[in-house]
Amino acid sequence: MKFTVIKIAEGEDEVILKYRSMTPETERMIHLLQSGSKRLVGMKGKTQVVLSKSEILYIESVDGKTFAYTQEDVLRLEDTLSQLEHLLNDINFFRCSKSMILNIDKVKCLRSLPSNRIDATMCNGEHILISRTYASDFRKRLKGGRAQ
Amino acid sequence: MNKKKVSLPERYLTKEIGIEFKACLYFFCILFFYCVYRVIGGSLHASIIHMTEMILLTYGMGYVQVYLLSDFDEAECWRMREIFYMLLCSLLYTGISLLGRWFDRNPGVTIGFALYMMLAYVCAFLVYKAKRDIDAKLLNEDLKAFQERRIEDEERDRDS
Repeated sequence: MKFTVIKIAEGEDEVILKYRSMTPETERMIHLLQSGSKRLVGMKGKTQVVLSKSEILYIESVDGKTFAYTQEDVLRLEDTLSQLEHLLNDINFFRCSKSMILNIDKVKCLRSLPSNRIDATMCNGEHILISRTYASDFRKRLKGGRAQ
Repeated sequence: MNKKKVSLPERYLTKEIGIEFKACLYFFCILFFYCVYRVIGGSLHASIIHMTEMILLTYGMGYVQVYLLSDFDEAECWRMREIFYMLLCSLLYTGISLLGRWFDRNPGVTIGFALYMMLAYVCAFLVYKAKRDIDAKLLNEDLKAFQERRIEDEERDRDS
């Protein structure tokens, strides 16, 4: 698919999508554009599923593949963890280890572990470990700040 | 979101500070026992050689604890492995105290010192645990406040 980005000096921002036939890729792009930045598109088996950011408990990268975990489902995402890090630029999404992004809104409780690590119990009962490297930034995030 | 990497020197420094802290903690415990022993024995003098041995030993034991014995006094809970490490370290301290004649090789005092070191380890474990419990309480308060702020922000966004 040809892809052009043009910077304009004035006027309203606009996205024009030209297509000859509706392909899954085009459909996905339309979904994304329609839902703004509040939704992601994931794959459940061979079915494409649109999920709201607020449904996500955490996102994990396993063997180069990215998965979003919700209360009921595990969805395969097309984007890499780094791309998602930029896409989910909300204050509630926190990179808690090399391979994981955590939704703080879905954390039920926290436990302080030895060596300054933090154990997060998610609302579905799963435990996520916030490594020592990320723990101090996590504390800052909880207090309302965004670490650099 | 940030991309943060802790450098090797930073990682080393973090461990080193932990070891220094442990050395201070256990040195203070041993020195207290030593001073009580000296005072009870009628002496108001402490040997600089003994104190140097204590400092070097606690520093060395800090390295052993952190790098070889999984930092057992800071463990989340004590199982057989941690208890074994605690006994091992207490016995090592006791053995060196015998070699260095810290307590004039008095058997009763030496046994007392071994028990005292075990107690010191148990206390250190409880102190670390209490520290983590307080920390968890503060973390959960911050988490609750964060989530409440988020709900308020979302409601405000919806209204506007």
